[in-house]
Amino acid sequence: MKKEDKHKSEVINLNAVKKYYYMGDNVVKAVDGINLRVKKGDFIAVMGPSGSGKSTVMNLIGNLDVPTHGDIYLGGENTSYFSESDLAELRGKRVGFIFQQFNLIPNLTVKENVMLPMDFQGVSKQEREEIARELLSKVGLGDRIDFYPNQLSGGQQQRVAIARSLANDPDVILADEPTGNLDTKTGEKVISFLKALNKEGKTVIIVTHDLYVAKHAKVIYWLKDGKVEKKTRKRK
Amino acid sequence: MISTEAVKYSLRNLKQRKARSFFTLLSIFMGITTIFIFISFGLGLYAYIGELSGSSSADKVLIMSKGSGLAGLDTAFGLTKDEVKAVENVPGVFEATGSYFKAAEVEYRDEQIYTLIGSYDPKVPLVMEIFGIQQSEGRMLKPGDEKHILVGYNYQVKDKIFPDALDVNSKINVNDVDFKVVGFLEEIGNPQDDAQVFVTNDFMEEMYDENLSYNWVVAKVDLKNIDEVKEKIEKTLRKERDLEEGKEDFFVQTFDEMIEGYSSALDIVIGFVVLIALISVLVSAVNTANTMITSVIERIKEIGVIKSIGAKNKTILGIFLFESSFLGFVAGVIGVLLGWGLSALGGAILNNVGYGFLQPSFSPWLFVGCIAFATITGAISGVFPAYKASKINPVDALRYE
Repeated sequence: MKKEDKHKSEVINLNAVKKYYYMGDNVVKAVDGINLRVKKGDFIAVMGPSGSGKSTVMNLIGNLDVPTHGDIYLGGENTSYFSESDLAELRGKRVGFIFQQFNLIPNLTVKENVMLPMDFQGVSKQEREEIARELLSKVGLGDRIDFYPNQLSGGQQQRVAIARSLANDPDVILADEPTGNLDTKTGEKVISFLKALNKEGKTVIIVTHDLYVAKHAKVIYWLKDGKVEKKTRKRK
Repeated sequence: MISTEAVKYSLRNLKQRKARSFFTLLSIFMGITTIFIFISFGLGLYAYIGELSGSSSADKVLIMSKGSGLAGLDTAFGLTKDEVKAVENVPGVFEATGSYFKAAEVEYRDEQIYTLIGSYDPKVPLVMEIFGIQQSEGRMLKPGDEKHILVGYNYQVKDKIFPDALDVNSKINVNDVDFKVVGFLEEIGNPQDDAQVFVTNDFMEEMYDENLSYNWVVAKVDLKNIDEVKEKIEKTLRKERDLEEGKEDFFVQTFDEMIEGYSSALDIVIGFVVLIALISVLVSAVNTANTMITSVIERIKEIGVIKSIGAKNKTILGIFLFESSFLGFVAGVIGVLLGWGLSALGGAILNNVGYGFLQPSFSPWLFVGCIAFATITGAISGVFPAYKASKINPVDALRYE
């Protein structure tokens, strides 16, 4: 592979990123100099105990948060100089979030929940409907599209969230403890969905403290005190 | 600014918080209803005054007692025949004529009522002409009419004044004198004026031997110099009545001044009431802002989620502004419909009790204006909460429980 191609295939690049919080005279170093490169098609887990900075890393990767030092490249573009509205567009298009608590909008139906991210990107109504139906049948909920989230089980809600994360066909799926609120069996099902997506070529990043979940990833970043303690690669 | 799913999201939020949305609506539409009612009646009154001033009376000057209004009920005041003559001799005055007014007991088929008997000179009927009042049936008075009487509109309506309706040629008794009705006046629109009766000045003088004096006087003057002529009339009367300037017991007013006086009085009354209603809308705007702030706080986490899936700050701003404007709009529609119903009902009741001149007038602009005003009020109330919502940090919001 040529160097240029390699650069192109780089979906995310965190370059010496720090996130400090200043509280009076104290400095809280949530993230303290992290380098992280994610290539297209990677399946990465970010592991670490609570307080290790993994949530902050996830927010930084997802462009929900901005670093105090260092640069973040998304699809080769440095996001440091992006405006709020550009960042919003970027995460809407390139990143699909999956949360521990599913975070569906309770007042919208399953289908509308999946349509909402496309709405923000100005996708036509007809297309939104079509894609939403398609994605929901892919996660096995084609018969529940007009249900409201509270009419579904936790596992089903998380599958809706997976469908929603795919709405704008993003480069990266960013999952924060996606199985944290699910029983083992349902959790496995969710993981298998993520694995299948990865096989289809989607980049998947899971933030978790559960080694069992992390083991599915190809690469595991171990975080401690805001730094990468070690990086392990799964053998083929 | 916002599209389908976002609109659905907003509307369902309002629906889900039914009670709160309802009370917010209530607080806005009560103010809007009040504004609508008073402006519709105000417009009706302006139209009524407009009709009066539309009559060709610009060349008329009225002289009356300082204390009393139109009816000229002030018995302490009166202009003598000589004084009216003096007015007539003022250069620029073409003719002048007065009206007597007395309390009257009117009897018809053993039923009595109390009203006013007025008079005018059929040769110089300026008193009737000034307001453009004509007969609705029969005829006006003629010079030399004796024991002939012209009566108000309401006499020809059954059960309005007397149980039986009167006709032309009906016989009535006024202050122990028998009269024959020769005509009915047009409807003036209030029960006092529509119950008055009129005879000629000559016959009034015959009925009352005592020293009668005119309760009000109308002069027809040269329109080109009307203000100058008015001043001259004042001067002449001061001299006649031996009064110092500034201590007159009468006042002279051109017809246009009188109409202006009515409309500026109306301006003040309507303006004051509408101001109070506006304050109530202002209070409701604060209430709406409070509702919206609560709604923002309740939805902090949702706002974080919506931002994480690609909503821009301005999208969030749009969602919340839409919600508060929509509340305002709905309140405006309810307020206007309610106001319309109540004004129409009020107008019908007033008409029924004889105040036909006090009627609401519904201009399309009143509907549009009130609804637009409510919507804008809602929008403005939402600005601060929506701005706050849009500035919420998604990281903090997602962590919020």
